[in-house]
Formats: sequence, C-alpha cells, structure tokens
Amino acid sequence: MIYPFWDVTTGYGILMATIAIIHVFISHFAIGGGLYLVVTEQMARRHNDEPLLAFLQKLTKFFVLVTIVAGVLTGVGIWFIIGLLNPLATEALIHNYVWGWATEWTFFIGEIAAALIYYYGWNKMAAQAHLIIGWIYFIFAWLSLVIINGILTFMLTPGKWLTTGNFWDGFFNPTYWPGVIMRTGVCIMLAGLYALLVAARQATGDFKARIVRYSVTWGLFGLALTTVTQRWYLSSILTTLTTKVLPGSILALRSAAWLAIVIGGLLMLAWVLARRLSKIIAGLLMVSGLVWFGSFESFRESVRKPYVITGYIYGNGVEVAKTEKYKKEGYLAQITYRTGDDGADLFRHACRSCHTLEGYRPLKPAFNGADPKFIASIIRGAHLLNANMPPFFGTPAEADQIAAYIYQRIDQRPLDQIYPAADLGRQTFALRCAKCHKPGTASDKSKSFAGQSTSDLSTMLDNLPELAEGMPAYTGTAAERNALVEYLQLLGKAAK
Amino acid sequence: MNLPNYEFLSAPIQLITVLHLLTLSLHFLAMNLLLGGVIIVLIAGIRKQWDDPTLVKFVKLFPVAMAATITLGIAPLLFLQLVYHRQVYAAAIVSGWFWLLVPAVALVVYYSLYRTSLKGDRTGKLSVPALLVALAGLLYISLVYSSVFAMAERPKLIHELYAQDQSGWVWNPAIGSYLLRWLHMILGALAVGGYWIGAIGKNSPVAYQTGKRFYVTGVAVAAVAGSAYLMTVPSLMQTRAIWVLGIGILSTLGSLHLFFKKKFCLSGMLLLGSMLTMVYARHMVRLLRLADTYRPDSMRFMPQWGPFGMFLICFVVVLVVVAYMVRLLITKRSAELSDSGAAN
Repeated sequence: MIYPFWDVTTGYGILMATIAIIHVFISHFAIGGGLYLVVTEQMARRHNDEPLLAFLQKLTKFFVLVTIVAGVLTGVGIWFIIGLLNPLATEALIHNYVWGWATEWTFFIGEIAAALIYYYGWNKMAAQAHLIIGWIYFIFAWLSLVIINGILTFMLTPGKWLTTGNFWDGFFNPTYWPGVIMRTGVCIMLAGLYALLVAARQATGDFKARIVRYSVTWGLFGLALTTVTQRWYLSSILTTLTTKVLPGSILALRSAAWLAIVIGGLLMLAWVLARRLSKIIAGLLMVSGLVWFGSFESFRESVRKPYVITGYIYGNGVEVAKTEKYKKEGYLAQITYRTGDDGADLFRHACRSCHTLEGYRPLKPAFNGADPKFIASIIRGAHLLNANMPPFFGTPAEADQIAAYIYQRIDQRPLDQIYPAADLGRQTFALRCAKCHKPGTASDKSKSFAGQSTSDLSTMLDNLPELAEGMPAYTGTAAERNALVEYLQLLGKAAK
Repeated sequence: MNLPNYEFLSAPIQLITVLHLLTLSLHFLAMNLLLGGVIIVLIAGIRKQWDDPTLVKFVKLFPVAMAATITLGIAPLLFLQLVYHRQVYAAAIVSGWFWLLVPAVALVVYYSLYRTSLKGDRTGKLSVPALLVALAGLLYISLVYSSVFAMAERPKLIHELYAQDQSGWVWNPAIGSYLLRWLHMILGALAVGGYWIGAIGKNSPVAYQTGKRFYVTGVAVAAVAGSAYLMTVPSLMQTRAIWVLGIGILSTLGSLHLFFKKKFCLSGMLLLGSMLTMVYARHMVRLLRLADTYRPDSMRFMPQWGPFGMFLICFVVVLVVVAYMVRLLITKRSAELSDSGAAN
C-alpha cells in the first residue's frame, strides 16, 4: 500500500499471463534448444553429415531470432510487469535475492555472447571450437534456470525462510530440486517441438524422416522426464501448502495432464508421418506445448493463492507481518498514494488486483441487485468465500466504504425488477447463497432444506449470522425472500 | 507475526552504488554505439555518402550492439531498483502503459535491426525503412526512460499526477525537467556513435572521417546541452560532482586527442572514464533531488556475503569465458583461414 495502484481495465492476471507464458515457452526452448544444437552438431560432425549440419545452421538462425530477441525481451517484459502489478512483492524479492538475480545476469551475459558467437561462427570457426561454444552456451543457459528456479519456487514454497530469513533456506526450498529437474525435462521436450517446426519445412524424403524421428525422440524423452518429475514437484507443493487445492487449480492441472497426452499422441503421429510431416502437425504440437505450459503455469499461480509469496505477502500486496497493524489502524492509514476518493482507493488496494468491475473476474454481475450491507458482509468474510481470497484486514467502516463504492456502480434495482418472477428464486440464491454454497460442491447445503417448511426456512433466513461465522444477514426484499424460500425447497426436494 | 523483514540492503550502499554506476556506464557505451551508430549510418545511407559494403559492415553490428545494450542494461536497473525502488516503481506505475511498452518497442527495434542486417547480408543494400523504425523505437525508449526517471526524482509530482489519473496513461508533464537531460543523452550518443564508427571503420577513410565529424560535433553540442541541464540543478555546483565532471571533460578531450591520433583503444578507455563521470553526476543529481524525502544510506544493512561471493565469482568466471570465446572466434578462424591458404 506504499505504492500507487495501476488501475488498468484489463485484469492483472491476463496481463501477467500473456507475457509470462510466452516468455517461459521461449526461455525453456532457449535452454533445451541449445542442448539439441550442440549434441546434434557433435553427432553430425562425427559422421560428417553435411545435410544435418546444414539443417542445424538453419535451426540456429531460427533459434537466435526467437530466443535472443523475443526470449530476452519478454523476460524484460516480465520484470517490468511485476513491478507494475505487485511492486511490493517485487521489492521484497529484489531485496532478498538481488545477488541471485545478479548471478543470473552474469550467466545471461555468457549465454548471449555464446549464442551470438555460435550463430556467427557457423562455417567460420573450426569445428571443435564451434562445439565448445555450443556447450558453453548450454551450460550458461541451464545455469540461469538453476538460479531463477530458486527464486520462482521460493515464491510458491518459501520453506524455512519464513522463520530464518536466510537466503539459502529460501533458495533451496521444498520445490527447488523437483522444479529444476522438471523444467529441464520441459526444456528438452520444447527443443524437440521447436526442431520439428523447422524440420517440417524440409523437403519430403529420407532426410526429413530422419530429422523428424530424431526430434520426436527429444520431445518424447522430455515429456517423459517432465511427467515423472511433475509428480515429485506436485507432492512437494501439496504437502507444504497450507491452503486447500482449489477447483481452479485442479482444472488447470487436469488440462495440463490431458495436453501432455495430446502432445505424446501428436509426437507419435509425427513419428509415423516422419517422411511427410506437415507444418500443420508441427504447428499443432507447438500450440499444444504452449497451452500445456500455460495450464501448468496457471496451476502454479493458482495454487499459490491467496498469496503472491506464500505465507508472506498476499496477492493484493497485503503483508502478512502487518495484519495486526491493518486491523488496528485500517488500510487507509497505510495507503501512501491517495486520490481523494477513499472508497476507490480502498477498492483498488483490497480487491482490484484480482477483480475488475466489469471485465476480468467482474464484481458487477456478482453484486447486481445487492444492497450495501450485504456487499460489506461479503467483503468482511472474503476469505470464507473460497481459499484463494485474501482475508480483509481493514476496519468495518472501510468495508462499508468499499461496499458503497461497489454499490454505486452496480444495478441498484431489486432483483425482482431485474429478473422475471419465474427466475427470481434462482437469482436470489445465486446472489445471496451460492457464493459459498454452490450446488454440487462440498459446501452444498441442499440436503438440509429437504422437508423444511416455508416458515422453517424463513426463520433460518432471519437468523443467518448465528448459523456460522461470517454468514451475512438476509437483507433482501420480501419478494426476493419468498422466491428464495421456494427455491430452497426445490433444491431440498431435488437433493432428497 | 515474526516474519523476515525485506527492507534491507544485502551489501554496503557504497558497493551497490559502484556496481550501479559501473554497469550503467557500460550500458550507456553500448546504447550510444547503437543509437548514435544508427543515426550516423542512416544519414550516410540516405545521403549516399558511403559505399554499400561500408554501410553493410556497420549494419551487421547493430543486432550485436542491441544485445549488448539490453544485457548491460539489466544490472543497472536491478541495482537502481534495489536502492530507489519506492521512487522508480511509483513513477513507472503512474506512466504504466508507456513503461510497459518499452520491452514491446524494443522487440520491434531488435527485429528491425535483424531485418536490416539480414537484408544487408543478402542484397548488400541498406534497408532505410527498417532502420528508421529502429531509430524511432530507440528514441521512444530513451524518452520514456528520461521521463520516468525524472519523475522518480520528484515524489511530490508523482503524488499529484497519481491523484489526477490512475490509468497509467500519464506522461511526465514537467518536460523542462528532463528535455535537456534527454537531449544531452541523444547528443552524447551521437558523439559516442561517432567514436565507434571511426574506430571500427578506421580502414575506411570515409567512415573514419564521418565518425570523427560526429564525435567532435557531438561532444561540442552535448557539452552545451549538458551545461544547460546543470543550470537547472544549481546545488550540484556545490558538491564534488562538479570536480568529477571537470575530470570528465578533460577525459573527453583526451579521448578526442587520442582518436585523432588513431589510438582507439586508449581513446575508448578515456571515453568510458568520461561516461563514468557523467553517470556519477546523474547519480548526484538524484541524491540532491531526493535529499528531502529519502536517503539511501538510511536503509538497514544486513549482509549476504555468501550470495554476493557467488555473484562475484560467477561474474569473473563469465568474463574469462567470454574472453576465451572471443579468442576462439578470432584465433581459430585465422588459423583455419591460414590452413586453407597453406593447403591451396
């Protein structure tokens, strides 16, 4: 709250994902591709395989243009965007890991220099010297992964660092080693996928078949290594995280698992069609790889919620260490950059990192027809909605201010004026109950409504705050209440 | 809750400042070669002053210069954010979209430079449109940097601008505070670009003469812009920065003298020295402007000597390896060429 808030209409999550996923997709190729190039060049030189060397030279050009240019600048893009979206977390990371980053930078210098010399050195350097440069490139590129993985995994599983504050405790955290090996597998897999994209452009024939099958082997080996080590990685996360695994995380993980199967299948298909592998299949493999990576990274991000650094800083920049201070003094007292509109300032710092009013994870549709009292109750009990919401540590008056800010921007008509009478019960349930008690989930209460009379359910609605901690009082209109009672009875009957 | 505090410096502020100034000077050297070089080559190309092989020779250097500019730009930004995070992030957020566009524009610049270079390789001709796109992009990036970093030195202005607009579409309106600074950098880039063109093109009389002309003119006009900028920071005259700047001016004159004598290596070293003094002066300006609100040495010092040692060792190793690789590129190539000559 010591920084201004960048109030962009685009959701923070979308901005971050767009840059980050493209970057990781390229940067992992930058490592695996380096290994592919040098290992294959060594093989080609040993067998004096001129066509293969010509192919590698072509691949190097593609490799340099993709990795050195797009890879590097999307990396810079990540650095820029994290400073804009969560400056406090970035500040904390830089202070703790400046020498980690500085070390990565040294490897980066070596990596870039080696890549350029390798590229310009084709046909100009002695074979042995060119190979040495290739190996140097790969070693530096992989070492940069070894370093950045320490910082990346620290954010997810800081481990003992939370008590010791020691650089190495945070660096070699519980997911460090599985992370390094799993990502190395991804690098190898992507090397195969990118090489197939270049191989698909070769003329149909024996050489193409050889190159395609060789690249498929890389893809399959990388995929196998990734799949095996991913289990180790997942077990390290799930046993260390205190929050429960969310449905969104499960979905992302399942998508990644299915996509791994798709990639495996497409690789097999490429093997079979090796002589005449089309650009379409190679392109599909690339797209699958990108979506797979997107799903995996989305899982990693979602499982970390509600934190940006687990147990240390929440996603909205609220520091765990200062929660007592927030409770005592409120959020406004901590917000350094004020605009004169306290409701807006509070909304930005408490909610806006994850929610927009109408775009990404919108609040307007979620609260249309609600009253300020109900909205304030939801804000106060935000952490009870689901496990990825940070708790609200501001004062009750500040919750009211945020509620008023949201209320001014939603459809303020009662639900019976927004929706037809036939749908009123369902819509009232969606607004006032389903945020926590979604049918079909663990918190579904439908069975408990079975056999309840209108008067029983009405009495229950009168006493909601007594049922459980954080339950908002019923504050809707009488018409909504009647329709809700009828709908609860319907749910009860259906669940019986 | 007893959690580790992140508000600390893991090395003495003096050490971080030295690293920042040194890496920033190296970044400027590469960036000036690129920016100044692009402008000079464009002018020479459009006026048809140079023959095509000379143009192509320089154009092929630009992607490498871009790679060096970006790579050498990472460390100074890291060290800057380590010490001046509060100011830099706040200013960057206020101009969020302009700031975020920097890597995107740099991507376009990079590909334009590669396009020019590859076209030069293929056709032996200069691609003027691609180079113009690259120049426009470089000017945009430099202007955003000047605007954001000048804003970062004025915390009150950041508060005022943010209170008015939180969308990230705010351009620093205090143009007077950074226009001269930006102009000084652009003109300085022309001077350094002139040095590089002259040094690399020493065997081409036309390239050397052009480089010399830009080096001399660039130094003269950059000195005027720099002096005008200094007038806007009168308190700087009372600090040791003014003496350091004096050394910088002498160093530049020495570099020019050696350049005329075609002693490019020594001339370049003095030029780097001069760059260091300019960077130091900028650092002093920042300290003076922030003096009322922030003192970097007030941050808590909690050493991380182990990780710092890791960085230092890796840095030395990488420098040695890079030198080895360059040697391999040069010597093995010459050896191979002489082998093939002997075989013939």
